[in-house]
Amino acid sequence: MKKFVKHLLLGLLAIALLDFAIGSSLEHFYFKQDSGFQYRTTYSLNHVKDDLMIFGSSRANHHYVPHVFESELDVSCYNTGRDGTYFFYQTALLKTMLKRHRPKVIVYDFYGSFEYSQSDYDRLSSLLPYYEQHEEIQEVLALKGPFEKLKTLSKIYPYNSLLLNIIKGNMEFNKERSKDFKGYVPLPNVWNNTLEPLKTASEYQFDQNKLKAFEEFIYLCKKNNIELYVVVSPVFYEYESDFSIATCEKICSEQNIPFYDFTKNHAFLRKPEWYADILHLNQIGAKKFSGMIADSLQVNSGHLKK
Amino acid sequence: MNWQPTYAILIFFSTIVTYLCAYKIEKTEKKWHKKKYLIASLIINLSILFLFKYYNFFNTSVFGLLQELGIRVQLPNFKYLLPVGISFYTFQAVGYTIDVYRGDIKHEKHFGVYALFVSFFPQLVAGPIERAKNLLPQFKTYKKFDYEKAVVGVKLMVWGFFMKLVVADRLAIYVNSVYGNVEYHSSISLLTATLFFAVQIYCDFAGYSNIAIGCAKVMGFDLMTNFRRPYFAQSCAEFWQRWHISLSTWFRDYVYIPLGGNQVSKNRNYINILITFVVSGLWHGANWTFVIWGALNGFYQIVFKIFRFNPGKKGRKERRPFTYLSNIILTFVLICFSWIFFRADSFSHAFEIIKRMVSELGPIFIGDNSSFVYGIFGILLLFLKDGFDEFLPEKKIFFSSSYRSVRTLSYAVVVILIMMIGVFDGGQFIYFQF
Repeated sequence: MKKFVKHLLLGLLAIALLDFAIGSSLEHFYFKQDSGFQYRTTYSLNHVKDDLMIFGSSRANHHYVPHVFESELDVSCYNTGRDGTYFFYQTALLKTMLKRHRPKVIVYDFYGSFEYSQSDYDRLSSLLPYYEQHEEIQEVLALKGPFEKLKTLSKIYPYNSLLLNIIKGNMEFNKERSKDFKGYVPLPNVWNNTLEPLKTASEYQFDQNKLKAFEEFIYLCKKNNIELYVVVSPVFYEYESDFSIATCEKICSEQNIPFYDFTKNHAFLRKPEWYADILHLNQIGAKKFSGMIADSLQVNSGHLKK
Repeated sequence: MNWQPTYAILIFFSTIVTYLCAYKIEKTEKKWHKKKYLIASLIINLSILFLFKYYNFFNTSVFGLLQELGIRVQLPNFKYLLPVGISFYTFQAVGYTIDVYRGDIKHEKHFGVYALFVSFFPQLVAGPIERAKNLLPQFKTYKKFDYEKAVVGVKLMVWGFFMKLVVADRLAIYVNSVYGNVEYHSSISLLTATLFFAVQIYCDFAGYSNIAIGCAKVMGFDLMTNFRRPYFAQSCAEFWQRWHISLSTWFRDYVYIPLGGNQVSKNRNYINILITFVVSGLWHGANWTFVIWGALNGFYQIVFKIFRFNPGKKGRKERRPFTYLSNIILTFVLICFSWIFFRADSFSHAFEIIKRMVSELGPIFIGDNSSFVYGIFGILLLFLKDGFDEFLPEKKIFFSSSYRSVRTLSYAVVVILIMMIGVFDGGQFIYFQF
């Protein structure tokens, strides 16, 4: 038994040493990236200083062109949108950012569902590299499960499955391949399918954590005197109603937050050539849409009125 | 499938029933009385299994058919979810009763020991389905810590976790996106997904088996080997001697042989094979797709038998490399084809997949590049290890090096790979559902 324990400990020691060495290298190169979506998250969390900020998922990332806002509103703008990230990510991002920078205006692109989905919790893994740096991230990651703290004892775990992305993010060619314009990533392709109707669930059980995260986002904006605009950007399908959008609208109305729903906007529903796919505008559509939002901000925003 | 603690009552009930029936079988002198208790045990245990696993399927299928014939009868559906591991412990308990009835083993007098046999935790939820003859005596021997066994056990567990987290769960991401949206995918993507699924299901289940066997070994217990590199089989018959061995032998001993096995006419033997495989398919799930999967595998066995094709019987040195390789590929292709039915949600889904596989040319869907690359890397590493174990068992490199430091380092690297590219989110063992 003694022999076994001794060898087991030696094995664990070898693993711990390898874990430390490899994990530290991954950490070093993760934060050394100067392009790609991981770099943009690091930049959003640790460096961004702009007055107008866009929050949301891939639809935020590909729909809002900071240069359009900058030229029309004379304000510095950054797009923090990231693919596949929803309520928890956005609230954690804002909470962390507020420690060092307070933007004047935030446009929150609403997409997602308030229904419980395990995959939405799994997606929080994208915040693991920042676990040690920020308390706010630790709070959110605790939602993933009770063992998250234990798992992060491993230096490698926060970078699980990121090896190839880290390598890419450190390559010079990636800057061209995955070009961004103050966070915004243009989509060049053109969608040429026809408009189709879509049925969504008419009612479901709310995930209280998601609701709480969204309401906390609103609360943080109010507390810090940040003007918040909630926008549902265009989609290229027709749906009669969406329970999550209706809920979002209700919350915004109760909290007195401006809410704009573009899903039924005829200008966008008639223009498949403005889309890259059913859910995302391409670079032409994004410019048009950003112009419309900028105009609206110019009229309504107390901070941005010229 | 469900984990509710109240379902422990079911396993306890099953344990009591089989314990008492086996006791009565042994105590009773008259053959008819013995048979009576055996039948009682079978009916009670299989009824519970039927109720939880097959009732709704039966209700929809049979009464659906009757409705087609104009007879309107409909029973309410059973609303409880399938308890995890029910098929495994039911088969283990039923196998024990049959063994006592046949006189192959003595009834276990100690209820605690017998209950431990039915509910032995490493293999309770997904097998291997152990035989009383092998496991019961092990519970009665004094267990002294065995260094060699414990080391082998830990290594098996590490490799099991690699198979599950690095290979199976990674490939599942691709398979789910392609099989979940068949209408958008080309033949090459569907072929890739099918190939990936073959590896995924192997790694999912063999991975779990390795963890269970390894865990038991650390505690000093020897469970039966459940997989022996099945994709190196040279025929479909050999495949079943390497795949889910504990279940295959269970069906052989308790279904195929009682039906008459091969000690009957040729035609009857073919029917016996078909029945055994269809029942095996049904054991895997209450869906017609599993029945087709079982029947297809039975059909392969029969065809191979008709043409007397069983090259697995030859020794390794007697085989010609080209013939050997082509046999492996042919078997693999046939097995992969049957996996389409196993994985598909319905009969029509399976046919849609097959139809698109032969008609929809187009580029391959990669999905997330990194995930795809990790998946391929995992497959390569898996087949490298399996290949060495299969073809060059005498080579002492990496995991079997004669140097302890090399062996330790090899396993440490596997652990690191698990942490680096293993999938830690939302995974489930496919075989839990059985």
